[in-house]
Amino acid sequence: MMDIQQYLTENNPYLPELGTIVETIQETHNIMTFRVVLDGDSRMQDFSFEPGQVGQLSVFGTGEATFVINSPPTRKEYLQFSVMRAGEVTTKLHSLTKGDRIGVRAPLGNYFPYESMKGKDILIVGGGIGMAPLRTLLLFMLDNRDDYGRIQLLYGARSPQDMAFSYELPDWLERKDLETVLTIDNEAEGWEHRVGLIPNVLLEMAPTPQNAIAVTCGPPIMIKFTLQALKKLGFEDNQIITTLEKRMKCGIGLCGRCNIGTSYVCVDGPVFSYEQLRALPNEL
Amino acid sequence: MTVITELKEQIKTALPDLDMVIGWERGFDPLHATPLFMRKAQDVERLELGPLAVHNTATYLTGFKGKKVGLVVKGCDSRAVIQLLQEGLIDRENVVIFGFPCQGVVDMVKVQKHLGNTGLVREVQIQDSSLKVKVNGEERDLALKDVLADKCARCRYPNAMLYDHFAGQPIEPHASEDKYQDVEELESLSLEERFQHWEREMHRCIRCYACRNACPMCVCRDHCVAQSRQPQWLTQEDSVREKWMFQVIHAMHLAGRCVECGECQRACPMDIPIMALKRKLNREARELFNYEAGVDPNETAPLLSFKVEEENINERGW
Amino acid sequence: MAEAKYISQDKLGKWLDELSQQMQVLAPVQEGEAVVFRPYQTGTEIRLEGQPTLPPKEAVFPASEELFAYTYRKNPEDPAQTDVEIGPRAQPQKTLVFGARPCGSRGFVIFDPVYTQGYYMDPYYRVRRESTIFASVACVSHENSCFCHSVGSGPGDTAGSDILLTPVDNGYVAEAVTDKGGEMLGSSLLEAAGDKAGKARELRDKALKDMGEPRDFTPAREKLLAIFDDLDFWEDVSAKCISCGACTYLCPTCYCFNITDESAGMQGSRIRSWDNCMSFQFTLEASGHNPRPTKAHRLRNRVGHKFSYYPELHQGMIACCGCGRCIKHCPVSVDIREIVIRAMEHQTETGEEAGK
Repeated sequence: MMDIQQYLTENNPYLPELGTIVETIQETHNIMTFRVVLDGDSRMQDFSFEPGQVGQLSVFGTGEATFVINSPPTRKEYLQFSVMRAGEVTTKLHSLTKGDRIGVRAPLGNYFPYESMKGKDILIVGGGIGMAPLRTLLLFMLDNRDDYGRIQLLYGARSPQDMAFSYELPDWLERKDLETVLTIDNEAEGWEHRVGLIPNVLLEMAPTPQNAIAVTCGPPIMIKFTLQALKKLGFEDNQIITTLEKRMKCGIGLCGRCNIGTSYVCVDGPVFSYEQLRALPNEL
Repeated sequence: MTVITELKEQIKTALPDLDMVIGWERGFDPLHATPLFMRKAQDVERLELGPLAVHNTATYLTGFKGKKVGLVVKGCDSRAVIQLLQEGLIDRENVVIFGFPCQGVVDMVKVQKHLGNTGLVREVQIQDSSLKVKVNGEERDLALKDVLADKCARCRYPNAMLYDHFAGQPIEPHASEDKYQDVEELESLSLEERFQHWEREMHRCIRCYACRNACPMCVCRDHCVAQSRQPQWLTQEDSVREKWMFQVIHAMHLAGRCVECGECQRACPMDIPIMALKRKLNREARELFNYEAGVDPNETAPLLSFKVEEENINERGW
Repeated sequence: MAEAKYISQDKLGKWLDELSQQMQVLAPVQEGEAVVFRPYQTGTEIRLEGQPTLPPKEAVFPASEELFAYTYRKNPEDPAQTDVEIGPRAQPQKTLVFGARPCGSRGFVIFDPVYTQGYYMDPYYRVRRESTIFASVACVSHENSCFCHSVGSGPGDTAGSDILLTPVDNGYVAEAVTDKGGEMLGSSLLEAAGDKAGKARELRDKALKDMGEPRDFTPAREKLLAIFDDLDFWEDVSAKCISCGACTYLCPTCYCFNITDESAGMQGSRIRSWDNCMSFQFTLEASGHNPRPTKAHRLRNRVGHKFSYYPELHQGMIACCGCGRCIKHCPVSVDIREIVIRAMEHQTETGEEAGK
């Protein structure tokens, strides 16, 4: 028989890697971003992942929760996770600061089909914290700009204060190779961009579905109406990509809670085309 | 007219105005009944009463908030309805109660003790005072009194205590007084022996919470501390300490509320005698507050009320 | 199978004594009216008649198990700085499960494709699985809740077992199923079975025949998906369910688990423990959204997983070994056979097009 201790240490998908929080950013009143560097001299350079893959962050003594790695694989000085405070683990995470130790199990899950998106026009529609996975994809595409056609971004939040990644927005607005539209639900003082619900602004933007892929992420109600808007604009099911969220524990297809029929969101997702979603049982 | 015929008539008459009526029907084998949800007149034909109708139909009541539900009840089931009404957990106008005189129900653990394996029972005939069963080709005759649940032997309320319809004639109680003999036996053990007893019994608990979910008075349902992490009272470790802790919480939560229907213990797949814990606290409630749960819909359970000075707790004399 | 052996009832204890010198032996023991697997020691009274209440699931998949321990340490130079150390420390021991029924041992045949051939290898499962062997007792009569013959198993099923024992002539015919099992039959306490082996086969065949015609559950794979959106159906079949976890915890094939951190001051453990898809919390998201908010949704997933999703993913194998524990021990006698049959026979108006 093999050496059990060694085996469990070396081949253990449950065992997090240790890392250190090198920076925290208070994005909004309930979203906090963590930049994490994994232990080991060349570990960050060796660490390989794809845009859209997720990681489980561990606060030992509290537990784990799943977040997308929202920094792109093209920028590996740290791994970035943005955490909305909702439950036990996220609340504990929000109390952590620079220098705190943290556990990371990553990368997990599938990723955006960026290969098959090459040569196409890309429409990104993000709502609230749903912008996190889209940020990864956006920065990845900007770092490989020649591979993609026109890139449009529609990013909405309830109010200016609810808009995460505010420090990047000026750059995104300014870039010539990216068309950025920002929107908030209701008028707010000093707001110079669009006002209106995402699906309505999307219809006004009227992106063309020809040779295009739409990628959307956000709260369920926003997704629902954004899908309707995209259909109205002529996008086919296989031209629409989204990501799903489910309660997860193991993250590796075993513990049994994140399945929709035969699909396990933790390993078969989180990224699904609308065409794939429609083939699944209706249990979101 | 037999009790069951009369009851079926009553249910059929009332059913059009109700979402459903809950009773019992034959289960997966002749020895098991199972709860029956009657929604149409033809469902009523499947209704069965008798010593195998063990389940407390009141357990389902809080799950049907806003629906108009009929309930066929034994005496003990009706006590659960009364207690739920007392605590304002159900609305009287949404419940229609069909009572009947209960002759007692069977304790499957006792049947198993007599037969060795209840899974091999292929036929059952119930006569007045006996259960005739065919086990693997062999005929066995079990006296009902030998296999009746303990709660039935000491039952003082065999007839529904609150009802809208009653089928048959009320019967005399099986007993006049509950001496809590089982509790006293446990209490006669030394502290160490008692602890060993519970350690031994709780060891095999699988934390399935059938005890909790079968309890008509366990109304926290999806918000139970057993699984809650905020607050976290219990870990998920497979230890006697955690299992025992849950039982203590459960019993404390039921102090003076438990109607002693025995569903917790009956539901336990591991045959853990947890009813004694609830009985112990109920006896305390009776002695301290002179109160018995589920008897009078207009009472208030002692631990749900507050008195500056309790009659039987002489704080000033301490 | 290799040459069959025979051991008489009066030598059984000695054989177990011998075996327990070599490894941990788990055997069925009566506690109250429940029968559970406990470590065997000389003198332990074991119960081989009837189906144990619990299958031997805990031998390989404990009710709770430490994934790793963690310890926080404050930096003595700078107490504001805390480091953390983590490490697994599982120590599975070589174990023989003696006296499970074939249905109990078969459970791990359902676990294996998920835990050892799935997306990820589960190392804790693997080390326990590889250090555990099963000597099962074939059934010579079935209980009313049994339906192993309808899910590809049977009273003499050897899948998942290393040795199959069949009660014959006040003793047991012992047949090796695997090489590991064969090694254990070398004891001098066992004798050649001779014509008792034939008798054992006859008993097993008769036991199977007594169960009657098996029910074909394969159409359930499609049908359960077809009626997925018929919530009236699921509400109807789940009406009496009280949402406890008895069915899942007693099930030899239910493998879902929870992961929680259980702490005590600066140290603690991350554990995994049996979890239960009948529980509201199982899929409850931090946002408060629950994709399976009612017992109807949850029972739909339990039945769907066993009779549709799992077979779809694993060459048609049904994730149920037909032991019937979920029926027999259900506090309200929910009958999974009845649900699947009703699903297969259900005429739905919405049919295949339902609610997409």
